[in-house]
Parts: sequence; C-alpha cells; structure tokens
Amino acid sequence: MSLRKIGLDTRGLEHPEPLEMAIKILKNLDNETYLYMLHRKKPLPLIDLAKEHDFQVLGKEDTANEWHILISKNKTIDLNDFLDV
Amino acid sequence: MFSQNGLSLDQAPPITVVFKFFFVGAMFGILSGISLFFYRVEIFDSSSVAAITFTHLLTLGVMLSFMFAALFQMLPVIAGVTLTSPQHKSNLLLYPFISGLITLLLGFNIPQYPWLFLLAAGLLVFSILSAILPMLSKLWSLEHHSPSSKGIGIALFSLSIIVLLALYLLATQSGTIDGIYYPQVKTAHYSFGLFGWIGLLIISISFQVIEMFYVTPPYPSSISKYLPFSLFLFLSISTFIGFFYPDIWNITHFLLALLLSFYAILTLKRLTQKKRPLSDATVWFWRIGLSSLVTSMFFMLLGEFTSFTFIKPLSYIFFASFALSIVFAMFYKIVPFLTWFHLNSQGYFTAPMMHEVIHPKTAKKHLYIHLATIVTFIVSLFVNTIIFISAILTILSFSWIAYQIIHANKLYKETQKNGEKFDMGNM
Repeated sequence: MSLRKIGLDTRGLEHPEPLEMAIKILKNLDNETYLYMLHRKKPLPLIDLAKEHDFQVLGKEDTANEWHILISKNKTIDLNDFLDV
Repeated sequence: MFSQNGLSLDQAPPITVVFKFFFVGAMFGILSGISLFFYRVEIFDSSSVAAITFTHLLTLGVMLSFMFAALFQMLPVIAGVTLTSPQHKSNLLLYPFISGLITLLLGFNIPQYPWLFLLAAGLLVFSILSAILPMLSKLWSLEHHSPSSKGIGIALFSLSIIVLLALYLLATQSGTIDGIYYPQVKTAHYSFGLFGWIGLLIISISFQVIEMFYVTPPYPSSISKYLPFSLFLFLSISTFIGFFYPDIWNITHFLLALLLSFYAILTLKRLTQKKRPLSDATVWFWRIGLSSLVTSMFFMLLGEFTSFTFIKPLSYIFFASFALSIVFAMFYKIVPFLTWFHLNSQGYFTAPMMHEVIHPKTAKKHLYIHLATIVTFIVSLFVNTIIFISAILTILSFSWIAYQIIHANKLYKETQKNGEKFDMGNM
C-alpha cells in the first residue's frame, strides 16, 4: 500500500519546536498520509500524545543515535515497511 | 519536553501544582523587595538579622518554591520519575512550608519568642522532607540513570542534609540545646545550601536542558558524570572535618569556586556553539546567570585573601544573580510549554500558542528589569540610598512573574471552558 510521506527533520530545532510542528501535522493527517520525523532524542511526549489519540506509532533509533518516528492514522498498514534506517 | 527516559501524559503533574509553587515563589520575592524598605543596606552585613531574614526569603521563599515547581514538572520528564498523587503531595508541602517559613522569619525578628523557632522547625522539616523523601525514593529505584537524574538525586539528598543541619541551628536558637557546634553547623548549612542544593540542582538540570533547549553539543561525559558527586563529596568531607578543623572550609570553598567557575565557563562556551544564531531572553538569562556565577566565585576567592568591605557582599549579590537568572530562564521555558502542552494533550484545537501564553518580548522586558535590579544592588553598596530603587525593582521583577502566572492560568482555564476540541484520531 502506498501512503504519502510527510517528512519532518527536527534535528536542528530547539525544543519545543519539533513537538509544536509535529502536532500541527498530526491534526491534518488522513488515511493516505503518514508523518516521518527525525529527531535527536526520542520524543516521548509526542509518542504518548499520538497513542492517546489513537494513532499508530513507530520509533527507531539509528546507528547515529538519531530517532526515526513514524506516525499514521491508518492502522491497516505496517509502519516498519516505511522505515528508512 | 523530550527525554530518553520517558514522560507519559498521565505522569505529567497537574498544571496547577506547578503554577502554585511558581506563584508562591513570586509572592515571597515581592515580600523580599518590601523587606528592603525596612532592612536597607543592613542586608549586606552577613551576621545581621536583616541579612538572615533576606537570605531565607530568597533561598527558601523564592528559590525553593521555584525549584519545587521545576522539580514537580521536570522529574517525570528528565528522570522518568512518576510522582503518585502530585496534587496531594504538593499540598502536603505547600501550606506547612509557607506557614513554617513565615514563622521562621518572625522568629529571626522577634527573638523574645524562641518557641517560634521550634514551631518553624517542625513545619519546615515536615513539609520539606515529606516532599523530597518520595522523590529521592523514586530516583533511587530508577533502573537507568542519566547524569541529570543522578545529579538531581544528589541535590535532593543535600537538601535533606541542609534541613537536618537547620534543625540543629533552630534547636540552638530556641534554647532547647546548648549548640556547642553552632558555628561549624552554620558553615556546613549555608555551604550545602548554596553549593550542594542550589548550585548542584542547576548544574544537574543544565546537563539535560542546555543541549535540549538550545541545540548545543552535549557536556563532556567526564563532567556530567563526576562533577555533581565531586561537589557533594567535598561538602560532606568538609562538614565532617570542619567539626575538628574549621579552616578546612577555606580549602573547600577554594576548590568549589574553581569547579563552579569551570562549569560556568564550559556552559557559556556551549551556548556559543548553539545552532541558532539568534538568542531569546532565556539564553540571555542563562548567560547572565553563568557570568554572575564566575564573578561570585571570583569575589568569594578574593574574600579569602582580603578584608575589603565590599568583597563579600559582591559575592552574595552575584550568587543571587546566578541562581535567580537561571530560575527565570527555566520559568520562561516551562510556563508557556506546560500551558500549551496540557491543552493540546487534552485535545483543545484552540489552545493558545506558546508565544501567546508569554510573548518573547515580555520575557525580554523582564530581562532588562532583572539586569537593572542587579546593577542597583551593586551600586547600593557605594550609594546606600539606591537600595530603595533595588527594592522597587525587586517588587516589580517578581510582580512581573506573578502576572505571567495569573495570565497563563487564565488562558488555560478559559480554553478549558470555551475551547473547541479536536479528536485527531477520529477526524
């Protein structure tokens, strides 16, 4: 299944801009789109908030200790298929 | 807030807990400004009742309240510590703490009622320990520690030592015990207070927030791993040896001054390496605070070698500037974030943005008020009547803070009452 990726690279952004931007995107996600976020740390408040609002969430740390966070509203897909680590 | 360790929305404390402590701190700050009209430059004589009262207004009333506000908010965030029933715990701390502190201040000023010291001791020991012991126990049982969580644990442990030392001092003041070790315990009490609690807590929190807030390179791991424990070790050893050889504190203060100056310069350097070239008010509060720490330590060292009248008061003024500047920096990060985040997590579509809670220009104006306050305190050492301007500016500075809390709380309540809710998962 192909979904449109909404990329968000927040590695160089100061707290709490990444969270602010991600929440803005989450509010507009539909079944055809997913958020792919890059962050220096694991953004647990975002993950928590997304889960509480019934999104599917996947977080993975790469070898450079950076976090890849994938969030989708569509629950029929496997986010691992879209992971680029 | 972002963490490796974890924050659940369920773990985050109710916003009123954090706001209450910030507000109480601001009220004691205003009171400290009012007290200056009566005590004037007598506050610079460290053995006077004026100095002791003013110091406790700032350290206990302002700093401890602000630091508890920050701890209730940040412990779940930067240390992954879940505080069960934070509302209940905060109430258990807040009301006896306020009553205890007021009783203590009355005790200092009305020496004919020594029982006030015993009452103050009971209230303060009960309230402070009932708040920090659960925090310490939760920190102790953490499986994975970060340098920040370890440092906060050591700072809280130092606070419990300060409380126990204060108990001895108050028992002596009330006439309950002879207090033959009063001078030694007093030195240990204020040294632990300034370096082991205020200094160490700021240092430990900075290990996490400087990198996170300002996108700087991390601290060298040797510093973040060993600095907090080294500070604590110096203080503990000196407290013990100080009973037999009080001059040990000269060596300890020298070592502490070197370590703290090194930390401050390292952090200032980190702030020059931040990714974004523009600096908001909070960065400037950090810069002022860290520069004040270096200056304070310089005057403290100078005070060991010379008896020039203004040296020690300058050291006190700059230390207060260090602590307050950084507390203000944290305040302007925490309050807008908390308001915005709590409302978003509750699903309010119309939640105010962070800059609507406290506008960056508002923080910048406070920065100028704060700077002017420090300058007038310094000038008042030479032109004594300027202390009245310091008093007015101190009242203005803390009223500014109090207004921001009232404004944020009003926005929060209004959004909860009239705000439009979204349901992201089911839209």
